[in-house]
Amino acid sequence: MNYVPGTASLIDDIDKKHLVLLRDGRTLIGYLRSIDQFANLVFHQTVERIHVGKKFGDIPRGIFIVRGENVVLLGEIDVDKPCDTVLQQVSIEEILEEQRLQQQSKQETEKVKMLALKDRGLSIPKADNLDEY
Amino acid sequence: MSDSEKQQEAEKESLPQWPENGGEWSDGEEVTNMDCGLLQAMAEEDDEINVHNEETFGMDHDATDDPSVVVLQFEDPLPPPPTPPPEPKPSSRSSPHSPPKQRPQYFLRAPPVQRGRGRGLRGGLGRGQMFEDPAVMRTVEGRPSIKTLDSAILDLGNTLSQKTFEDDDSAIMCVIDGHRGRGQHLTSNFRDVPCPASYYTGRTGELGGSYPRTTFDQRGPSQMHASMVVGSPIFSRQPLTPRQHYNQTGGFMHCPSTPRSLPSKMMQLRFGVISPRPSAFYSPSSNPVQHFRYPGPVTQLHPQHKRLLSQKQRIFQRKTEDWDPYCNLMTAKEKEWITRLQMIQLQSENPYHEDYYYQEYYRRIEAKMAEEELGIRSKREPPKLTTPYIMKTDVYAPVVHIEGSLGQVAVSTCYSPRRAISAVNAVHTLGPLEEQKDIKQQRLEVLSKIEKLFMVLLEVEEAERMKTPLMSEAEERSVMEKSQGKVEHIYSQLQHHSTLDSGVEFLPFLLVSKGKRLLARLLPFLKHDTALKILSIVTSNLPALMSRDPEAALPVLYPPLRNVIGGLAFSQLIGVLKDLTTYESLALACQNKFGLSLLYALLSQGEKLLSSGVPLEPSIGDFETWTDTIFQVAGQLSESSLVEPLLMPSNLLTLFCRYLDKRTVHQLKSNMESATGYLALAS
Repeated sequence: MNYVPGTASLIDDIDKKHLVLLRDGRTLIGYLRSIDQFANLVFHQTVERIHVGKKFGDIPRGIFIVRGENVVLLGEIDVDKPCDTVLQQVSIEEILEEQRLQQQSKQETEKVKMLALKDRGLSIPKADNLDEY
Repeated sequence: MSDSEKQQEAEKESLPQWPENGGEWSDGEEVTNMDCGLLQAMAEEDDEINVHNEETFGMDHDATDDPSVVVLQFEDPLPPPPTPPPEPKPSSRSSPHSPPKQRPQYFLRAPPVQRGRGRGLRGGLGRGQMFEDPAVMRTVEGRPSIKTLDSAILDLGNTLSQKTFEDDDSAIMCVIDGHRGRGQHLTSNFRDVPCPASYYTGRTGELGGSYPRTTFDQRGPSQMHASMVVGSPIFSRQPLTPRQHYNQTGGFMHCPSTPRSLPSKMMQLRFGVISPRPSAFYSPSSNPVQHFRYPGPVTQLHPQHKRLLSQKQRIFQRKTEDWDPYCNLMTAKEKEWITRLQMIQLQSENPYHEDYYYQEYYRRIEAKMAEEELGIRSKREPPKLTTPYIMKTDVYAPVVHIEGSLGQVAVSTCYSPRRAISAVNAVHTLGPLEEQKDIKQQRLEVLSKIEKLFMVLLEVEEAERMKTPLMSEAEERSVMEKSQGKVEHIYSQLQHHSTLDSGVEFLPFLLVSKGKRLLARLLPFLKHDTALKILSIVTSNLPALMSRDPEAALPVLYPPLRNVIGGLAFSQLIGVLKDLTTYESLALACQNKFGLSLLYALLSQGEKLLSSGVPLEPSIGDFETWTDTIFQVAGQLSESSLVEPLLMPSNLLTLFCRYLDKRTVHQLKSNMESATGYLALAS
């Protein structure tokens, strides 16, 4: 039921459960309640889902308003479809701990890499924010 | 009446199940009706149906301005229960509907809590009050909420699915009145949008099934009431039913209140009206091609009536967990607003230019459909985006490039959010000498030039396309002049490319496949002598072109060149043929589709000229060259294995017959045919 045939519109997605990936890497799942012409989104009963390896944890967040420019992708979740994934849901504390460990190990490898490069006289500037160009 | 009894029981049972927090939606206002959400919705639908029928069948009833008067009407003695209708409907259907009208009288004796909503007749419903006749719809006064008081926030979701659109309503679909306040004429606004035809049909499919699941629906009609009360010039009376604002074109204002005693027939027919549908529970059909059918007043009521009833029964058994209390937060008016905004962004005066892919796609689909199904084409027209013409009041440059700055400033407004800023091309200021030395740079230059010239070509083609019969002579001439100027510009740019060596004109562009396409599309616009120049360039450089054609893009040049050849005079033809008939060219041409086709085309043209009887005005030596060429070509063709040409002219054999002996001709024929695979040559 497209109000505007031949185009894409978020209006058909209203009141449906969605998963949105933000530019900062966060994954939010919630009911899309409202939109505007900038594709700013209002999510209801939002849950931030953190994935680490095969585990994931959901942090309830309530109502989210997402500025449209920060959305990478948005997809509807079929609530009726059986959810048979290999992913294992864990508690919030556990997933946060896992995430912290993951970040830590990533930082350590990065440090080692930089050191190795420095030894060879190379220096690759870190791209802190990939979006800035 | 057993059905209705069952319904009543079910009603009774289901009432307490409705979650208490339904009252949250009405912003915490009165509590009394919270539990009667379902019935309230049903009663509303009843109202709507009532109004619809009154409109449709022109019921005479007293119009009242005063809710209290309306209340009084409720207190009229109950009319006798309606007899089963003569229509082919199950009798169970009639009874549920007739008593609803009578029902409210029991409740409106309680203080009618109008609360300025003008909602129509809604009595205060106490909890647990049930209809004596369970099929009777209860009219319940809706709860005023903040949204009802703010006319700007209105929910059209319920109303838009109503079926009362009459055919003349469609006539007003063309204009969106941008001046209308938000609180006014909402339905007409939305209806004016020609696109969402599928929206309507989709909604017609949903009946009573979902609306009781959310009390948000109740807000809708009441909000509309408020809006109508506030803003509408048409509606002058308070107790407007939700139905009424659908009927703006009907101008029918005489039935303010819903619960009246109607004859049985009316009551049955009422149920055909589609009840408000919250979008949350609408399952969009996967078929995008849906057409809004304005339902007839009577004939389509029956199946919907049936459906309505069955859905209402289903409601009572439905689990409350399915109920989404937060749906419809975004009202239909807001959705319409966004859709309208998007359409404003989409509208353009030159859609073929600005939205080429969609237009082309749609054109192809239509052409295909027209081919396939001429008979039932009307049914299958795919929905096309037609943007209503909305006056864009402010014209501004959304992206501003300040001279000398490195970036661009984008103005973001409601109509043009986040206009993309294109990367500003840094102007290279390399000296001409330096440019020539870098071959890669040269190639890049050629490519960028092709792109720029393509844009000019697109403008020329656009002007050509826009030449409508509406244009006056002077206009047309000026457009033609402009186009011609552009064509000449393209031509000169292609001709004089600064290369290191005084290379062949046009050749660098011809070596690029996009350049070939550019020239192919430019050729129709060129005058004959300039086109002839291109042709001769092509023929003289044919070996190079054929060998350096990895993408096999040469055939794109064939059709326009064939047209050029078709206009050649004899001596011109001879000149061109001379270039082509160097040994190297000829041998290679036989192996190349384009080359061979070109050769055939030239020969065919020669034959045509010779046999046409038109005086040829040949130069000296032309005929000799011609015959020599024929022999040479014939020899080559019979020797080498030929590829299939793009087009096999029909008069080639005639040509060869004239000059060669039968055996050679036969050999030629078999050789050529084996390439084409079929007997293409008429002997």
